[in-house]
Amino acid sequence: MASSTSAGAAFSRSLRLRSPFLNPIKFSQFGFFRSKSLPLILPCLALDASVTSVSAKGEMEKENKLWGGRFEEGVHESVERFTESVSFEAEELWVHDIRGSIAHANMLAAQGLITEGDRDLIIEGLGKIKTKIETGEFVWRKDREDVHMNIEAALTDMIGEPAKKLHTARSRNDQVVTDIRLWCRDAIDRILIRIKQLQAQLVLLALRNDGLIVPGYTHLQRAQPVLLQHLLLSYVEQLERDAGRLINCRERLNFSPLGACALAGTGLPIERFMTSQELAFTAPLRNSIDAVSDRDFLLELISANSITAVHLSRIGEEWVLWASEEFGFIIPSDSVSTGSSIMPQKKNPDPMELVRGKSARVIGDLISLLVLCKGLPSAYNRDLQEDKEPLFDSVKAIIGMLEVTSVFAANITFNGERIRSSLPAGYLDATTLADYLVKKGMPFRTSHDVVGRAVALCIAKKCQLSDLSLDDLRGINSIFEKDVYDFLGVENAVNKFTSYGSTGSGEVQKQLQFWCSKLDITSAE
Amino acid sequence: MASSTSAAAAAAVSLSLRLRSPYLNPIKFSQFGFSCSKSLQLVLPCLALDASVTSVSTKGEMEKENKLWGGRFEEGVHESVERFTESVSFEAEELWVHDIRGSIAHANMLAAQGLITEGDRDLIIEGLSKIKIKIETGEFVWRKDREDVHMNIEAALIDMIGEPAKKLHTARSRNDQVVTDIRLWCRDAIDRILIRIKQLQAQLVLLALRNDGLIVPGYTHLQRAQPVLLQHLLLSYVEQLERDAGRLINCQERLNFSPLGACALAGTGHPIDRLMTSQELAFTAPLRNSIDAVSDRDFLLELLSANSITAVHLSRIGEEWVLWASEEFGFIIPSDSVSTGSSIMPQKKNPDPMELVRGKSARVIGDLISLLVLCKGLPSAYNRDLQEDKEPLFDSVKAIIGMLEVTSVFAANITFNGERIRSSLPAGYLDATTLADYLVKKGMPFRTSHEVVGRAVALCIAKKCQLSDLSLDDLRGINSIFEKDVYDFLGVENAVNKFTSYGSTGSGEVQKQLQFWCSKLDITSAE
Repeated sequence: MASSTSAGAAFSRSLRLRSPFLNPIKFSQFGFFRSKSLPLILPCLALDASVTSVSAKGEMEKENKLWGGRFEEGVHESVERFTESVSFEAEELWVHDIRGSIAHANMLAAQGLITEGDRDLIIEGLGKIKTKIETGEFVWRKDREDVHMNIEAALTDMIGEPAKKLHTARSRNDQVVTDIRLWCRDAIDRILIRIKQLQAQLVLLALRNDGLIVPGYTHLQRAQPVLLQHLLLSYVEQLERDAGRLINCRERLNFSPLGACALAGTGLPIERFMTSQELAFTAPLRNSIDAVSDRDFLLELISANSITAVHLSRIGEEWVLWASEEFGFIIPSDSVSTGSSIMPQKKNPDPMELVRGKSARVIGDLISLLVLCKGLPSAYNRDLQEDKEPLFDSVKAIIGMLEVTSVFAANITFNGERIRSSLPAGYLDATTLADYLVKKGMPFRTSHDVVGRAVALCIAKKCQLSDLSLDDLRGINSIFEKDVYDFLGVENAVNKFTSYGSTGSGEVQKQLQFWCSKLDITSAE
Repeated sequence: MASSTSAAAAAAVSLSLRLRSPYLNPIKFSQFGFSCSKSLQLVLPCLALDASVTSVSTKGEMEKENKLWGGRFEEGVHESVERFTESVSFEAEELWVHDIRGSIAHANMLAAQGLITEGDRDLIIEGLSKIKIKIETGEFVWRKDREDVHMNIEAALIDMIGEPAKKLHTARSRNDQVVTDIRLWCRDAIDRILIRIKQLQAQLVLLALRNDGLIVPGYTHLQRAQPVLLQHLLLSYVEQLERDAGRLINCQERLNFSPLGACALAGTGHPIDRLMTSQELAFTAPLRNSIDAVSDRDFLLELLSANSITAVHLSRIGEEWVLWASEEFGFIIPSDSVSTGSSIMPQKKNPDPMELVRGKSARVIGDLISLLVLCKGLPSAYNRDLQEDKEPLFDSVKAIIGMLEVTSVFAANITFNGERIRSSLPAGYLDATTLADYLVKKGMPFRTSHEVVGRAVALCIAKKCQLSDLSLDDLRGINSIFEKDVYDFLGVENAVNKFTSYGSTGSGEVQKQLQFWCSKLDITSAE
């Protein structure tokens, strides 16, 4: 057997996806793993390369395809390499493939399409294969194309004739999309947990920074003072909508394609409701062509991921900016920072830069999939095999981004001193001053103009609004009175906010309580 | 006043707008700036400045005014900056209705809370109504030096009623105002799209009803796979559209929250009542966090994502119908009313509408990408970049509505060439899977039966015949399990009739699907 572990390990390293299991997965030596496009551009070189690299080839007799009945010639090696999918899908899909096959076998037996004895042999065989995969003993063969054929052929090797009945009333077309829907359902659950974790970390960060006022920016110019807690909770709101999109997507995709077969269903007396139920789907999909044709649930999932990625990228941008010398508002701990290979003074907020950066690939994955599906005719086309890598990549990236942002949130300190000392600059209290004039009866547009002139005076005098004397102010408009100083300065300004959802401390406190209760955070902690 | 507004120039501007007005009246723009190619001006600033001077012949007639936010500014804005940053030219037509509606709700709330007098409120609402009529009748002059739709309306109101108008912007910022307008616009847009989706679903069901019993080849990998009822194929599109509608409904529910009263980003100290404006504008509730309310455009990303998925669905229908209308397939005959000819080749009758449906999906996806890249990496709260959200939004919605409408019309105007389809059916071994199922019913494992039928197909290829042409001896030469009843499973009619599983192409199953959709879409099947 081709057990050469070093090549297997090298390949497993080249896989970009993390296994849910820590055991290495072995691949057979057929074909070679890197750069599929190379063999097409330079076929002669590639053929040479494959001959030299496939030293173990002689050990494993090349077998006929399971669909080989009408074929006289075997598939060309380069075609086999170009079209195989087992190398990137096996690790992700095998669990679901076996689960689907067990449900299918149970149903076939219940409907009298196979005997109970055959069913037991099949399920026992699949159980053994599961163990083999988990322990890393299972050998994935590229000449067996994909995860489905690998498992079915292995089962046939193991138990013989009964295994050949497993594919009754099933096609790879419905089988693969069943596997993917199950995978997506799990993936969404995994993402939802990470979203909740990040929300909780943000709320905890808010709780640790009670009362801290930061400049609120629009256009990246100082706008109004806000409580840091208010800003952090704005991220929590965005994440909540991200979760909502995923939950909607999960509900919409949780329908069973199994039994749609190739595209038209089958004449064998199967029971699609039974498999649907065993696999915890809501119901079978109503139209068999639709069931095997469409990947809109993937587009929806990856769209939702892209929107989440944009949210996380915005947090990344803000925190990277705030960690710069010029802002100096955030101090990341050493545990989430990295240094420079040449500049000894550097402490870079790399994780959040990578969060910002990874959003590009999540969006890229979406584009790949949209372009992939655009203009395909109905039912299954082999193009759809290309759906898996963008899917896996998008989910892996978004989970990583959520996890790292959580860790970062748990490991930053806001530099209260620096923030407080910087607050007087930028006329953050100007809107509050305009509101003061409105309360005195002046139309807002006029008050906007009056305060604008007060700001111009400050710029000329190089001072802040609170430094202007009452005479200065009355020189601009006689409406000003002594109580104006209750509205100047950032603390006064923040305290004047009272509207629903605003940055006033009472309002922010209500938001915090809402989130603590929703996320099961005991605020005493 | 620049009422001369050389009708020609106004018409040119209105032509250059890519978006269809819900109103037929032309919208006039003032002569400030000129309408074409902003980028040109940036690349060749000197030329551009010259051009603007010559083109703005009426400039002297309208005195350039101070900005409403001009208090702290000593210098005016440079003409090229004004041209580059204005948004009124592309947003006014779409947003003015919602802007006025939002302002009325805001004024009502301000008066109810004692922030303005009832007299002021009445003057404001009366003024806004007059502006509304002016816009509807095409008399309103949109001024680019007033930047955007909000400032145009507010400044016009001040021109009209004076001091009270200046109180309208109390406890409001353009930041919450614009996102209120856009949310209202999106809510309407989704309703408009949903109606078109339902119309297309109904047309597809009607098309199915008109083609009862017609069997077509089902393809996978574009190779003949199994025979299917045409109705089954058409209903598969209807299913996809139903999920498209579901996504839009979810999106509408999620976006229907009010940002109004979030003000610039932090809320306000005035005693406003956000629940009141939220209710008057038929929002579910106010958004909980004011920074989030003015920061985020995720609802646009969601809407454009949903549109992109719909566009991909429509593009796939487009591909299929274009293919089927080709000489080589010849399954579909579009009527002349949905076809166009060639300028050079007299014989041509092209299915252009469906080609354009396939083509427009590219811009719908492009609009989504623009918006994703636009939002990526922005810091919190409002950044002017967000002004660029509108054109992709309007474009995406316009395109998807056009695509849905045209696909409906096309569906109503195609005939399936039953004769051609029927005569082509014997080719391609569409009954091979049914034959394999026959063997399974005889007790053979499926993988073995797949192999046996594969060899039967190879024999047919050698003999240049169909499976049903093989003699029983031929078949038994491959495997002795074959019996005379095998011929009940061969041929496409037999094959189709053997399908019985839920959701399959068997006529009983398809009938159930048809009934489901007729009832859901209120189609009386007797028609």
